[in-house]
Amino acid sequence: MSGEAAARVALRSEAGAGSVLALSGTLDVASAAAARREIAAQVASARPNALAVDAAGIEHGDMSGMALLYELAEGRLVPGVRATIRGLRPEFQTLLSAFPASDALAAIEAPAPRRGFLDQVGAATLSVLADLRAQLVFLGGIVLGFLAVLRRPRAMRWREVGVVFEKAGVNALPIVSLISFLMGLVIAFEAAQPLEMFGAQIFIANMIGLVMIREFSPIFTAIIFAGRSGSAFAAEIGTMKVNEELNALETMGLDPLRFLVIQRVFAGTMLMPVLAAYSMVWGVLGGIVVMMAMGFPFAQIWTQLVGALGVWDVIVGISKSFVFGAIIAGLGCLRGMQTQEGPNAVGDSTTRAVVAGILMIILVDAVYSILTYVLHV
Amino acid sequence: MNDAPVVISVEGVTIAYGEHVVQRDVSFDVRRGEVFVILGGSGCGKSSLLKTMIGLYRPAAGRILYDGEDIVTAEGEDRVRLLRKFGVMYQSGALFGSMTVLENVRLPLDEFTDLGGEEKELVAAAKLNQVGLLDAASRKPSALSGGMQKRAGIARAMALDPGILFLDEPSAGLDPITSAGLDRTIRELSKGLGITFVVVTHELQSIYAIADRCVMLDARTKTMIAEGRPADLRDRAKDPYVRQFFLRQADPAAAATEGSRSS
Repeated sequence: MSGEAAARVALRSEAGAGSVLALSGTLDVASAAAARREIAAQVASARPNALAVDAAGIEHGDMSGMALLYELAEGRLVPGVRATIRGLRPEFQTLLSAFPASDALAAIEAPAPRRGFLDQVGAATLSVLADLRAQLVFLGGIVLGFLAVLRRPRAMRWREVGVVFEKAGVNALPIVSLISFLMGLVIAFEAAQPLEMFGAQIFIANMIGLVMIREFSPIFTAIIFAGRSGSAFAAEIGTMKVNEELNALETMGLDPLRFLVIQRVFAGTMLMPVLAAYSMVWGVLGGIVVMMAMGFPFAQIWTQLVGALGVWDVIVGISKSFVFGAIIAGLGCLRGMQTQEGPNAVGDSTTRAVVAGILMIILVDAVYSILTYVLHV
Repeated sequence: MNDAPVVISVEGVTIAYGEHVVQRDVSFDVRRGEVFVILGGSGCGKSSLLKTMIGLYRPAAGRILYDGEDIVTAEGEDRVRLLRKFGVMYQSGALFGSMTVLENVRLPLDEFTDLGGEEKELVAAAKLNQVGLLDAASRKPSALSGGMQKRAGIARAMALDPGILFLDEPSAGLDPITSAGLDRTIRELSKGLGITFVVVTHELQSIYAIADRCVMLDARTKTMIAEGRPADLRDRAKDPYVRQFFLRQADPAAAATEGSRSS
């Protein structure tokens, strides 16, 4: 419908009608912008008090072209002057009549009212409180679900537990190995220089042991788990919610929490300590490799390492991992079940699951550090 | 209507996904200003044909001409120019969820025209007014019903005033009243503005309400089995499957009896 030809614009004075703007040729999406500039220039120099538009010469046009006539008629193009349109062909009249009345247009163009600062703070606070409440309700649901499984172990979908173990555990081994080994390597190298000044490089073994087993292995494994599996749980359950599969479960009388969440949280809780222990081995190995490269014999490194570590160090590291696994898996599932409608919803849930998971890992780790300090373990 | 110039020519088009042939040797012409319906049973390749016609799929054989120019072989600027000849409304509306309805309609104007911001706003508002959605201009697509999303999809497809609109299953999932309203919008736009419509549907009531002409595809023979006016196909088609389809009969024998009574 659009053409390449230009619109012709001519402003003249006519006895009895004041100024007459004659438009002819093609007034479409391709020519409207140029015609608008031309009209503005001619009208600005003539400054008419009354304006009539002779549109009889318009041969081709479309909605974009008619927008120009609408602006003239409504006084939007020449402020204070509402032009009368005459001679417009019926097919273009149809297009012109599609433009809404000024008040309807004003309602669209009016900017949405901005909320005040206090309003925004209040809304954010309510949102956080509502989220905390949702997390508590969810936690209660999970506890009840586990109690039900304890009473009737066959209620757990064990095959799903196996699938989660494979996807979140076995498939994560290569990345956990690599990151843990490199982490051990980095810590050993970073510690080597300052300890060399005191001739105490053998204590690299102590540092590697304590740092990897008490802190880094549980935390880095948890972050990997949050990025790989917490996000996957949120995306899987979120997609199911968008596809109304959760509604289908409920109407079949199946509890989505028991059907989808319990086995994921169970698998996450059981899996994390195993992954953390695996990470500890690779981290320590990374440190040992560096120390051996510095000339320390393996037997000396091992003796130093074993002497530096106590049973409580391992218990602290492993027990953290249980908690991290439960939190990440639980938050992933919760965010999935909270998925809203719309194209961004699943992506938003995934992001929220990972961010909340990592935040909670650090919070819980801080609590652990304070507790172990107070309890001297 | 038969004297109107041909705007789309589908010539010997074969659609296949690898070795799997969906439709073979499909040919028909669409004339300016008519509402042309592509119909057929589920899985016969209606939507595949539409997607081939709008250049999303490349046919295994054949040509698709817009005013004599083949979109299958067109590349670069030529292809963009051909794509600007038509607008498409997808089955789900395919509105961008992060934008308001007005911004969705405005998007093609922002990208392809040098109109000022105020003019773009005006044109987008007028398009929404044409499909009766001006009141929903500031809402996000997720806040619209299915029928409203489809109408917004039509408004966006019309943003650049294309001469041809493709609609994929416009009535699917809509209640009869909303569906009838959409049919009326299509007729008004076709008759009032002279827009050519190519509509994919299997909703019989919509076909009778809007179609000037139609072609019917068949999943069993994998080819086009009928072309003409809906009423003619219902009353006079030789293929019993065509009559069965138009008479909404599960049993071919019943359709044959019904068909002989009505003709």
